[in-house]
Amino acid sequence: MTVRHPGGSASFEILGEDHTLGNALRYIIMKNPEVEFCGYSIPHPSEEKMNIRIQIYPEYWEHTKPYDALMKGLDDLADLCDHITHAFKEARDNFVEPGDNSEQR
Amino acid sequence: MSATGSQREAYQPPAAGSSGMGRSYVPAPAGTMFYLCAECGVKVGINKGEPIRCKECGHRILYKQRTTRMVQFEAR
Amino acid sequence: MPAASNRRNIVGVKAETVTNVSSTDFPGHWPGEDHSWNIKHFRRTFRVKFFRNTPLFSQFDLIHTDAAIANTLRRIMIAEVPTLAIESVYVSNNTSIIQDEVLAHRLGLIPLCGDKDALKGLSWYLRGEDSAPREPTDEDTVVLYLKKACERNPDAKKTDTDPDKLYINHNVYASDILFEPAGRQIKSFAHDPVRAANPDILIAKLRPGQEIDLTMHCIKGIGQDHAKFSPVATASYRLLPDIKIKKPIRGKAAERFAACFPKGVIAIRERKDGEKEAVVDNVRNDTVSREVLRHDEFKGIVELGRVRDHFIFSVESTGQFDADEIFLSAVGTLKAKTINLKRDIYKMLRKQALDARRAREAENPDADEEGDAMDTQ
Repeated sequence: MTVRHPGGSASFEILGEDHTLGNALRYIIMKNPEVEFCGYSIPHPSEEKMNIRIQIYPEYWEHTKPYDALMKGLDDLADLCDHITHAFKEARDNFVEPGDNSEQR
Repeated sequence: MSATGSQREAYQPPAAGSSGMGRSYVPAPAGTMFYLCAECGVKVGINKGEPIRCKECGHRILYKQRTTRMVQFEAR
Repeated sequence: MPAASNRRNIVGVKAETVTNVSSTDFPGHWPGEDHSWNIKHFRRTFRVKFFRNTPLFSQFDLIHTDAAIANTLRRIMIAEVPTLAIESVYVSNNTSIIQDEVLAHRLGLIPLCGDKDALKGLSWYLRGEDSAPREPTDEDTVVLYLKKACERNPDAKKTDTDPDKLYINHNVYASDILFEPAGRQIKSFAHDPVRAANPDILIAKLRPGQEIDLTMHCIKGIGQDHAKFSPVATASYRLLPDIKIKKPIRGKAAERFAACFPKGVIAIRERKDGEKEAVVDNVRNDTVSREVLRHDEFKGIVELGRVRDHFIFSVESTGQFDADEIFLSAVGTLKAKTINLKRDIYKMLRKQALDARRAREAENPDADEEGDAMDTQ
C-alpha cells in the first residue's frame, strides 16, 4: 500500500481490497469526530485497488495524522466484529427453533 | 475417386494377399489401428495400406477412437 | 420534535419516490448530538434476533447497525469464505455424449461436504510457478474418483422401453463420486468422508458401451475466484418494512386496506363498540408492494417505509458448512482483514521513516544522531 499526504489529509491506495472492506472502513472512519471527510473509490474495476481518502479537521492536525484515523478505524472495526460475533453466538445459542408452520422469508 | 468408383456399388470382403489398391502386400499385425464404424458402430482393425472401410457393413466413414491418454481439464 | 427523531431511521417509501435514504448517524450531522464511534454504545444497542436456524438455512435480524457493515458481511459470505470444490479433472475415459470440458465444469459446481473440522484444517493449494509446479499433498488436495460404465440389462424384456429397465448404470449421479483419502485424511475424514452434499445430482447420462472414468482434485478456494467456491446459495438481507396508520381505518375500509397487503400483515380487530379496525400485525410478511398507495381512499392515512438499521438476513448454505457458521466465518474474515491491513500500514510507515532518515543522512552526513526521532511525516 502507498500513501500521499500533505498535512492533515491523505489518500491511501490499498491493494487487493474492494467495496467489501472499503465501505465498512469508510463508515467507521466517518464516525471519528476528528475526521472532516472520508471517502473511498475503486478507480477501475479490473484493477485490484481501493483508494481511501481521509481529511482531518485542521484543529486536530497537531496530534492526529490521517493514518492515525485509519488505524483507529481498523481497530474500531475489529471491536465491532468481536461484538457481532459475541451477540450472534448468544442469540443463536438461546434460540429455539419454532414449529414448521412459521415459514417466513 | 474414379478408380474406386466401381467398388462403391458392391462390397467385396478383402481377400488375403490383395488389397483395395490392387497391390499385394504383407500385413503387419503390430501396426493395426482400430477405428469405429460410423454406420454400425463396430470396432474395425485396419492395417497399413488397407482400404478405409468397415469390415462388417462396408461403410467408408470411420471414426478415430478416443485417446487412451489421460487429459486434464479445469473445472471452471 | 421527538416524534421526528423517532422516525429518523425510517426510509420513506412513497408512490413514486423514496425519501430519507442515507444514514445520518455521523459526528457533526445533528447539532448537539454525539454520533462518534463508541463500542460501549454499540454493545448496548446492537441486537441479533434469530427466526430460523437449520444447517442449510438461517434467518436472523441484525438490529442497530449500518448498511455498510451489513453489506460487507453479506459480500464476505458470498465471495470470501473459503470452501472445498473440484478444481482439476483428469479424464482417463469419457465416451459419453457430454464433452470433457462440459463434464469438468459440471463436476466443479457440485457442492461437497465432509468432516467440517477437517475441511477447515485444509491449507491453500499454491500452484507454484509454471516452471516449478507444486505437487499436491494430503494437506491441500482431496482426491475423488468417478468411474461408471453402462451396459444392457440382460434381464430386460423385449417389450421394455423404459431406460431404467433396459440399461444398467445409465445415470451417473453425484453419489457415484468416491473419495480416496490420502495420508492424514484417512484419520481426519474417517467418520465423515468427503462426498457430494446432494447425492441426487444427475451428472451425465450413458448408453450401453459408454463409460466415464476420471479422477478429480479438490482444493480450497473463495467465491471471488469462482462461484463454485461460494459457501452460500444465497446470502441476502432486506430492511424491515414499516407501516404507519395515521388515522383509524374502520369498517369495510379496514378489509379493503388489509387486502392491499400480503396475508398476515394487517389484522382486523373488533373494537368494543363492535366496529372492525385495521391494525398492523406482522410487518415482516410485507413486501412493500405499495399497492395501498394506489387507492385514493387511503391517501394521507398510511405511510410506508423501511427501518434503515434493521436488517433481515437470510443465509442459505450449499451444504459444506452450517449457515450460521458461514456468517461467523464472515465476521472473522472481516476482523482478519483489519488486522492484516494494520500490519501492512505499520510496515509502510516504518519504510517511510527509514527512507526519510536515509534522505536526511545523505543530505547531512554528520548528524546521524538526529535520525532516531521517528518522524513519519
